[in-house]
Amino acid sequence: METVLKAIAAPRRREILRLVWSQELSAGEIASHFAVSRPAISQHLGVLESAGLLAERRVGTRRLYRACPEKVTELRDFLEEFWDDRLQLLKQAAEAAAEEQS
Amino acid sequence: MIELDAEVVEREVRIAASPEVIFSFFTDPERAVRWMGIEATLDPRPGGIYRVHIQGPHVASGRYVELIPYSRVVFTWGWEAEDELVRPGSSTVEIALIPDGKETIVRLTHRDLPVAERDGHAHGWDHFLPRLVLAAAGADPGPDPWAIAAGQ
Repeated sequence: METVLKAIAAPRRREILRLVWSQELSAGEIASHFAVSRPAISQHLGVLESAGLLAERRVGTRRLYRACPEKVTELRDFLEEFWDDRLQLLKQAAEAAAEEQS
Repeated sequence: MIELDAEVVEREVRIAASPEVIFSFFTDPERAVRWMGIEATLDPRPGGIYRVHIQGPHVASGRYVELIPYSRVVFTWGWEAEDELVRPGSSTVEIALIPDGKETIVRLTHRDLPVAERDGHAHGWDHFLPRLVLAAAGADPGPDPWAIAAGQ
């Protein structure tokens, strides 16, 4: 999960992920959306790919990318679980505080 | 209307090194990869090959046009990958070295870029020139983060 969290820590990588959420795009098409060099885009694609958030498909010499919804679902579940735990802790702390006051 | 490939990127950096030393970072393959790319094939004479593998499918390719030791290097520039807009040799990079006391001003002018490629190339030089500033002054800029994350 850490590699996934690190992967989405960069705003540019989140933008890339959104771009390929519902459509498959080539590296060139993705790059055309940003004022960023192609090697830098490749670096971001590499990070997203190794985190399992992107799938790559080769068609001839073209590499096409799309998001992996399964991995994003995994991430969402993780965050929700994390959030539930925190809420539970908050509730317990609030209750303990309330008890002390009474 | 025809879109002219006439966009220019201009950058200037100041380096604590002599023009002679900086010149070699544009002509010596071993020194060239200390600041840009992971492999370089350089034949520094007019018409000679200028080829730098940045990482993955990104190979910058062109020919030397002019070399004036130790004040000016001109080479053409493009990308070998088929889906790239800037074809090998289609744009031109000029490096001017201007001594200023113990330092040297390095002026980079990248001409004849397509409009859509201007900002991407500016971003590239803004990434690599600070690495040249360190490397030419004798410091170690470390491995290129763009190349590491891409699994090179």
